[in-house]
Amino acid sequence: MIDDHPMIIEGYKNTLLGENQKEYQIKIDIASNCDDAYEKIVKSSETIPYDMLFVDIKLPPSSDGTITSGEDLAKHAKELLPKSKVIILTMHREDHRIHNILKNINPAGFLIKSDLTSSELLLAFNNIVKGKAYYSATVNDHFRKMMTNKFSLDEKNLKILYHLSRGVKTKNLPNYVSLSLSAIEKRKNQIKEMFSISKADDQKLLEEARKRGFI
Amino acid sequence: MLKVYFYFNIIFFLLFFASGCHKKDDFIENDQLKSQLIETYLKKSKDKEILVSERKDNLEKAYNLQSTLKDNKYKIEKIHEISFVYYDLNNREKYKALNEKALKLSFLINDSLNVARSYGYLGIYYRPSKLDVAYKNFYEAEKIYSSLNKEKYDTKVIAFEHGKILIDIARLLQRTKNYSESEKVTISAIKSFNLAENEKFLPICYTNLAIIAKYMERYDEAIEYNLKAIEYEEDSENYILQKIISYNNIGTIFKSQKKYEEAKEYYNKALTFQEVLNMRPGRYARLLDNLGYVNFLSNDLTEIPDLYYKAMKIRDSIKDKRGLITNNLHLSEYYMSIGNDSIATNYAKKAKNIALELNENEQLLKSYDILSEVANNSDEALEYAKAHIRLNDSIQNQERLSRDKFARIRFETDEIAEQNQQISKENEILIIAILGLTALFLLGYIIFRQQQSNKELLFAQTQQEANQEIYRLLLNQQIKLEEGRKLEQQRMSEELHDGVLGRLFGVRLSLDGINQRANDGFTEARNKYIDELKDIEKEIRLISHDLSSETLPSDVAYIDAVENLISDLCEVNNINFEFNNDEEIDWEEIDDQKKVNLFRILQESLQNIFKHSGAKSIKINFDYIEDKINLTILDDGIGFNSTKVKKGIGLKNITSRVSQMSGVVQFLSNKSTGTRVSVSVPV
Repeated sequence: MIDDHPMIIEGYKNTLLGENQKEYQIKIDIASNCDDAYEKIVKSSETIPYDMLFVDIKLPPSSDGTITSGEDLAKHAKELLPKSKVIILTMHREDHRIHNILKNINPAGFLIKSDLTSSELLLAFNNIVKGKAYYSATVNDHFRKMMTNKFSLDEKNLKILYHLSRGVKTKNLPNYVSLSLSAIEKRKNQIKEMFSISKADDQKLLEEARKRGFI
Repeated sequence: MLKVYFYFNIIFFLLFFASGCHKKDDFIENDQLKSQLIETYLKKSKDKEILVSERKDNLEKAYNLQSTLKDNKYKIEKIHEISFVYYDLNNREKYKALNEKALKLSFLINDSLNVARSYGYLGIYYRPSKLDVAYKNFYEAEKIYSSLNKEKYDTKVIAFEHGKILIDIARLLQRTKNYSESEKVTISAIKSFNLAENEKFLPICYTNLAIIAKYMERYDEAIEYNLKAIEYEEDSENYILQKIISYNNIGTIFKSQKKYEEAKEYYNKALTFQEVLNMRPGRYARLLDNLGYVNFLSNDLTEIPDLYYKAMKIRDSIKDKRGLITNNLHLSEYYMSIGNDSIATNYAKKAKNIALELNENEQLLKSYDILSEVANNSDEALEYAKAHIRLNDSIQNQERLSRDKFARIRFETDEIAEQNQQISKENEILIIAILGLTALFLLGYIIFRQQQSNKELLFAQTQQEANQEIYRLLLNQQIKLEEGRKLEQQRMSEELHDGVLGRLFGVRLSLDGINQRANDGFTEARNKYIDELKDIEKEIRLISHDLSSETLPSDVAYIDAVENLISDLCEVNNINFEFNNDEEIDWEEIDDQKKVNLFRILQESLQNIFKHSGAKSIKINFDYIEDKINLTILDDGIGFNSTKVKKGIGLKNITSRVSQMSGVVQFLSNKSTGTRVSVSVPV
């Protein structure tokens, strides 16, 4: 279990160790930062690999700066412990984040902390143990939205929309998205075309994006 | 006379009617009429056939009429003409007065020829008695004649008139025994007359030359001049008269040379013109007297003293006092020579008395001479001798004095002219200096103004720069503030999201987990609180989200600055305020100058409100209407009379700022309703 809040790990433990203690023998290692977690993952890959990894997205980065989040950590884990089931537990519920995590890690479990209750955690745990993936309702919702669109937007486009929706001006977007201003303008126009509102202003664009679930 | 007057009146009347409404012509015809009248009067006044009193009458009329003439030039001409007739009629005072008037008038209309003429005529008035005044007038006239623009006038006429003036001057000089000078001037006069091709006054010139030559003892020359004088009169009616005069003069010259026989010959020659001499008794008497004296001098006493008595009788009859002096002196000389001293004394005393009366000093001198010789006793003789010496001295003094006087007159008039020239030169310099100074001053002023306006421009520029700088700083401060706030919000958001929320989640999960396992019958109740916790989480997350996503647009900075200004000032001054900013206004797109100006206008208005209005609350609006930003500042203060109050520096500043932005400002104020300042500025 990787989380920088001991209280959360306590919560996981309390949930899992209560009931399941009877069916499974659960041994838990904990790490509260990327360095710790990575060390333990490497160690386990050499000895007894973890069956399951609870990974928080927001974590104190590694001291060498190579691993900055749970997302990076999960990528490493997938390589080092290919058989481990990775469960992402995060507070973030923004579409583009969900989208990215799904795309980059394709975790066995994806739980949004704010939705999570102990019973859901148990349910997820049990499903995953049985080899079934489990996603939170919010994540599923995201899937559903993605499916209803005939097309999907790539990460960068989603980012643009996201920041626009936060009220960032187009001309300041290069600070948030690693693209030049002209590239951003181009992409905005593409999005508008996809939404078939080519001549609309940003207000309209955001409205449409919200309607279609990209924000 | 009355008839003539009547006749002219009728003509005038008719002319008046004929000319109808042509008023302008009336004057001309009026003048023409008058001049005709004057001519008629003059003609009559000159007519020697008519009685003198009637002539005077006519002259008076002509004189009265001339004063109503309008053409000054013509008027002067007429005045001169009238003055001549007065001269003829022996009214010298009138002659003088008229010429003085003519002189004044000529000066008035700047007619230099008539000035010269008037001077000349006045000279003639003074000629017999006041030599210096006469000389002065002639001299003035002479100067004008010699400087006259010859092209403008008829050369001959001018030369003739100039000649007349010159001969007058020459004769005056001769009379004061300034012979060499007189000779020079006479020659100039002759030249002038030659130029004028008019010989009328040449005899006078030559006579004068002859007199001079005689005094200078160039006798042959003197005789020659006298003969020449006759020659020039050859064709004129005065031929005989000139002959008489010249022969008399030649006789006198011979007498001076002690050539008595020749002298007698010439006197006798003159005496042959009996007819003319009858008409000129004075001349006749003089000839007789002179002949007698030559006879006496040559010791031919046959006709003496008869000739003297004959002459004396004539002279007595015509009251020729000057002649009588000579006559008496000759007689006294004669009686002295024959030893009859008492009779000699008698005649000499007579001569002396008349000479004293007439101021004939030469003759008086001679009479003293004789009297001292024929005196009864030595005392008397001494007395006369002393008188003789005194007189002789005084004569010499007088002559010298009058010569000096002439010289002084010349000098003074020349000096005045020179002074005038000097003054006009000085004036010229002064004018040039003044003009130069004025130009310099103007130039200086222009440069000064230029510099001033440059300074003003520079000042305006620096002020504008300063404004922009102030705004930039203001904005920077606001942005910094904003950034700090944002950073803090971000930190709070993250803290809430990752820290508080995480821990809360952990707690809830733990509780939930424990709760599921508990079987004390309170699971449901606890579930309710756990759900509540979940809701709290949600709320916190929302707050966190709000905090992080509340990205303030940078243009908020300006409006924040504005609001800060208003709230700060209102707080200090204890006034309620209401501030509205139209969201339509994109402050980021509006240039800094305008923002600063609006900011300052607001500041100025608020200062005015706080200082003067005593308002309890104010309302400030930024509205966006038809591409214009309208700033309205309303207060509920005492207001002012917007039409009467003289604009103070505050209002002026506002107006100038608004016009800088090509906007419109309106101050609406009434007592009791407060003040409304409306500024409308195009975006």
